Amino acid sequence: MSQEVTKEAPASAAAAPPAEPPRRVRVRGAALLRWVGALIAGLVVFGAFVLANGADPFAVYADIWTSTLTQPGQFQQIVLRAAPIALAGLAVVVPARAGLVNVGGEGQLIIGGVAAAGVALWLTPVASPWLIMLLMILAAMAAGAAWAGIAAAMRLVVKVNEAVTTLLLNYVALYSMLFLILGPWKDPAALGQSTSVELNDAMKLPVFAGTAIHVGVALAVVAAGAVWFALTRTTWGFRLSVVGGNAEAARRAGLPVVTLLLTALLLGGALAGLAGFIQFAGMEYKLRPTFGLTIGYVAFLASWLSRHKPLPLLLASLVLAAIAVSGNSLQIGSGLPAASVNILMGLVLLAVLGWTGPRKVRS
Amino acid sequence: MIIDILAGAVRGGTSIMYAGLGETISERGGVINLGTEGAMLLGALGGYAVTAETGNPWLGVLGGALAGALLSLVHAVLVVSRRANQFASGLTLYFLALGVTSLFGVSYVSRQINAFTPVPVPGLSEIPGLGPILFDHDPLVYVAYVAAPVIWWVLFRTRVGLLVRTAGERSEALEVNGYSVRAVRYCATVAGGALAGIGGAHISIAYANSWFENMIAGRGFIAVALVIFAMWNPVRIMAGAYLFGAALSLASVLQTSGIAVNQFALNAVPFVLTLVVLAILGRRTMLAAPDELLKVFDNSRTT
Repeated sequence: MSQEVTKEAPASAAAAPPAEPPRRVRVRGAALLRWVGALIAGLVVFGAFVLANGADPFAVYADIWTSTLTQPGQFQQIVLRAAPIALAGLAVVVPARAGLVNVGGEGQLIIGGVAAAGVALWLTPVASPWLIMLLMILAAMAAGAAWAGIAAAMRLVVKVNEAVTTLLLNYVALYSMLFLILGPWKDPAALGQSTSVELNDAMKLPVFAGTAIHVGVALAVVAAGAVWFALTRTTWGFRLSVVGGNAEAARRAGLPVVTLLLTALLLGGALAGLAGFIQFAGMEYKLRPTFGLTIGYVAFLASWLSRHKPLPLLLASLVLAAIAVSGNSLQIGSGLPAASVNILMGLVLLAVLGWTGPRKVRS
Repeated sequence: MIIDILAGAVRGGTSIMYAGLGETISERGGVINLGTEGAMLLGALGGYAVTAETGNPWLGVLGGALAGALLSLVHAVLVVSRRANQFASGLTLYFLALGVTSLFGVSYVSRQINAFTPVPVPGLSEIPGLGPILFDHDPLVYVAYVAAPVIWWVLFRTRVGLLVRTAGERSEALEVNGYSVRAVRYCATVAGGALAGIGGAHISIAYANSWFENMIAGRGFIAVALVIFAMWNPVRIMAGAYLFGAALSLASVLQTSGIAVNQFALNAVPFVLTLVVLAILGRRTMLAAPDELLKVFDNSRTT
């Protein structure tokens, strides 16, 4: 479509004033500009915060640059961080198509990790590693979907908004996990911090030869592609965006609105649960009090930054993961708390939210 | 022990009550603010820092209110002027507040302050049972007793309250009569944030008497949920807040009395309780929701 436009452009350009670039290119360019602008605005304000805290912002940025982006192993770290963010971001993307706000990625991810850990704990002595891995995936996705299902049920039956309930469920998930790892699932051999028993080596996600990248990263990319396909190339995806555009019109047109909303939230929850699985079996190998901490919230930011589009979401996840990784070097280099980089992430999204007026999602 | 739990309910519920009252004002004006949690966090640190620097907890309350108001002002700019999605803006502000308080809070961890102390009300605190439950607390608890009915009165019996409620029910009606919906919503949101900030300050300078990262631990989100089943009514907020205070104080009372219960199971109780109450009452109470707010709830814009 856009190619035709470019081909025609020179012919009409002779008579008319210089042809404008094709619409899609313009939109892309504007989006890119907005992104860069938001990032710069975020960096400037964050620098001011750092300065107010008595540190030199230029030294901090130089530090982040050298330790995060020029070290060879760091890029792999960023990719590893980005994978669960991308999966949990898809958990925001899918419901958002239907006009739902899933803020529960955090809890759905934790419950997914808990389910995976539970399967590993109970079946390790009796089943083969491959079977356990398969069951871990299924259990994690089912648990995440069930967690989102509670919010879906409350939205559809009791009409309480899902943003409120998913937030509350995040805390229930967190405390449930803490209950388990400080109680029944506590590893008696753990020193200091309480954790669950470490996952058996045979069930850890395999890595690509010569790298630290585990197959969960590939899983995240495939999932993003699949969600993109489902949203833009299937009837279901089309119907979802009709519901998201105007639920009342969709209802009058005879679309099964309740089923669509339900499937969107359940699929979202399952994707966040999958994120919990790769975080558990690919990164942390055990549940600890900080398991998956803030991944769900960062993923929410990533989804909004990418305007709920699956493929740009991958890019947004990488950028936010890079900021998150830089938080660690910030702590080591400048003695600022690692959570300070949450400011930077928040500022970038605020700038994006503030600069873009309300517009409908287009795919 | 019952008296301990009930007194703890009043003490622990006070911060949720301030935040819930603030959120009621904001939502009555048609703006939902998930950033309430963030406003409480900033209020807790702001209150603690000002108290630590000046030695006066009342100035701390002011600092907390300012910090909360400031964060909510950003929310107002985004959702009222820039028409950004209210949920996304609120959650982002929570995240921002999380970062800001951990950056600036480091230097206040384990620093001593001149905190609020319980001031027994002469005479009333001697009443057996009722005295220790209601009249042996820090001053902010007493202020809250007055704040809830006063806010109810302002919202439902004054011209200002009418303007706020009209902004939430039928904003066109304000425009027709020459008022600015924007101005009203700005004021309601900022006032709500200030109250949430006071709620946060109550936690750091009267309840826990310390500052630590992420110390609000979801109370702000509970307050947002509380507003729904309190049917946007300040007096019901008061009752609901004390209910959650009871759920919170249950944990500490059980622990001090030596009953072995897993602490984290108890921590989850207020959140489970909120969800259960919403599931039971939500359908009925949502009928009382301001119309403009329902538009936000029903089909949120996703961009």
